[in-house]
Amino acid sequence: MSKRGRAQDHQTSVERPPDFDEFWAAIQQELEETPLDPTLTPVPMRSTDEVEVFEIGYTSLDGVRIAGWYCRPRESYIAGPYPGLSIVPGYVSEPTLPKSWAKLGYAAVGVAPRGKLRSNAQFNPGYPGLLIHNIVDKNTYSYRGFYADAARAIDFLVARPEVISDRIGVHGSSQGGALTLTTAAMRPDNIVCGASGAPYLTGFMDAAKLTHSYPYEEMNEYLRLYPEREQAMRETVAYFDCINFAPQITAPMLIYAGLNDDVCPPETAYNLVAAMPGEVTLHVHERCGHDAGNFWEMAEVEAFLAKHLRPNTPTADLRAQTTVG
Amino acid sequence: MTETSDTADVPAVETSDAEANLTTTPAPVSERGNASSPAAPSAAEVAAFWDQIDAELAAIPAAPELEEAPLYSTEFSTTYKVRLTSIGPYRIAAYLSIPHGEGPFPALLAVPGYGSVVTPPQYEDRQRYVVMTLMYRGTRHADWPYAGKFPGVLTDGIADAGSWIYRGILADHLRGIEFLRSRPEVDASHVGLIGNDISLLIAARRPEITAVAVGSSFFHRLWEVAAETEAYPFEEINDYLRTYPADREGVARSLALVDPGAQAAAIRAKVLLTVGDDGATGDSAWWASLRDALGGASEEYHATHEGQTDRDAVDAWLANELGSEPKPRIWVPEEIGSWS
Repeated sequence: MSKRGRAQDHQTSVERPPDFDEFWAAIQQELEETPLDPTLTPVPMRSTDEVEVFEIGYTSLDGVRIAGWYCRPRESYIAGPYPGLSIVPGYVSEPTLPKSWAKLGYAAVGVAPRGKLRSNAQFNPGYPGLLIHNIVDKNTYSYRGFYADAARAIDFLVARPEVISDRIGVHGSSQGGALTLTTAAMRPDNIVCGASGAPYLTGFMDAAKLTHSYPYEEMNEYLRLYPEREQAMRETVAYFDCINFAPQITAPMLIYAGLNDDVCPPETAYNLVAAMPGEVTLHVHERCGHDAGNFWEMAEVEAFLAKHLRPNTPTADLRAQTTVG
Repeated sequence: MTETSDTADVPAVETSDAEANLTTTPAPVSERGNASSPAAPSAAEVAAFWDQIDAELAAIPAAPELEEAPLYSTEFSTTYKVRLTSIGPYRIAAYLSIPHGEGPFPALLAVPGYGSVVTPPQYEDRQRYVVMTLMYRGTRHADWPYAGKFPGVLTDGIADAGSWIYRGILADHLRGIEFLRSRPEVDASHVGLIGNDISLLIAARRPEITAVAVGSSFFHRLWEVAAETEAYPFEEINDYLRTYPADREGVARSLALVDPGAQAAAIRAKVLLTVGDDGATGDSAWWASLRDALGGASEEYHATHEGQTDRDAVDAWLANELGSEPKPRIWVPEEIGSWS
């Protein structure tokens, strides 16, 4: 069995660009100047006696139309208004259809950021490919729009009359764990809590050196072909690193990680938590990988979100669908 | 900040898709009209369904194209993007990685899960196997003319097994394993499958497969599973039956035709079944009828739910069966002071 240093002792190489805040303020300005133009189309086939399901759409950065699922309790099942919840997707997984969360009492959106199915008409770098798409240019890097799309889902929820706009949470694992963090940083006035599993896009360069598993392996592959671009890559990803978003996260956060995660190395989770000034709880699981201990953590996540978001869950035995990255 | 290290003594194998829920989520049983299954098709009907697929495959050339993919190649292996023709005719895709050096090498097909994205083979697998990941119709790189919707693919045409999209998808899997076994770099006496229970369907139709590691159920007893869960992708069945209740018989028949339990006796490969906690769907008792019917040897692995423990155990079993070496992912942390 191989050995390596303790995760909690790892020193990050991430540096915060001096114009990080200005870079994202300009993106936010662009978003504010872009009408949301939300659409809401009922999906009777996926709806039940308890939950109404809608396919949604809205406009995000660069005018890209973003799709998603929106699930809310029926009034006859649980009377509104409802706390909001955004369930953000992993790298390769399809966006969650968050019916089980709506059954717990949330107005829940499962967003498909650009490049995901149903949001890929205007932008489609593919998989693998998203992580390294324009990775030498911060102004056109894939995650510039991708992060905005996830934050924009909160704007969608805020615009819904049945949603309690100052009681919105965000949750996901892996890439969803990263989007949980960036969304909390980009929408601090609306997000009151977040649960982030196996956070990805955290310590990009360090992580790639610690693993040969996808998606970070995309960076290693790219640098094998183009080693001279490493500095440009490092400069770009610094603008998108969750460690650099951490100081702006004010909401309470639950973070969980596997101590043998080959996909998102646990070292980066410790580096992330160290950079977070707010209230943060870290759960780590020995011998767990990218599952991040979700067999045990889902109950913790549900309880954490319920504590902060206070849904009117009708019975205690209901459970959300397990979140995977 | 509070920090806790929490590893309890209860167990699911690492899977990256929603199939993982089968062994982890005991869901309430509700009455949706599909709790009891209609009469299953006869063994002759099952055989006819699959024989027809094989006949169509035999009639259409695979016409393989291989294109080297430098981005996914390493100092120890070369990876190719592959195009193949399956029934329809339909052009499907795959990634194929071949180790450098003198073969032949053991081979592995990583059976894809339910979702639109298939990645190139895992780094550790490229070091020891001729390894292929398959993009069946509807997934990215195999999404013309059929762009699959997830959710949606599972029930697309399900009321009629003859036109159900999964008839073609299962043929795509068979085409993939045929191609892999045909490669001159492959040691045809050491060919394995890893993935969900679609692996068992492949092994039943291609009894020359050596070893199968089944991490989760997909089609086995799916009619019953759907009645007991609201988790996707299985909830697709419930969505469909709510919307089209008159199709109940047709849906049940389609699912029965692709239940690996109906063909277990034809499987000659050694099988490792990952089983869940006692009393949960996917536990040892739940698999018993299939396991007892297998035509070859089998073992069970009881999932611990520690993702890397479970992954390493299955990896070691498969490597042993294929005459290769395990590549564990668990590492031992040691105090080395400050590091970067």
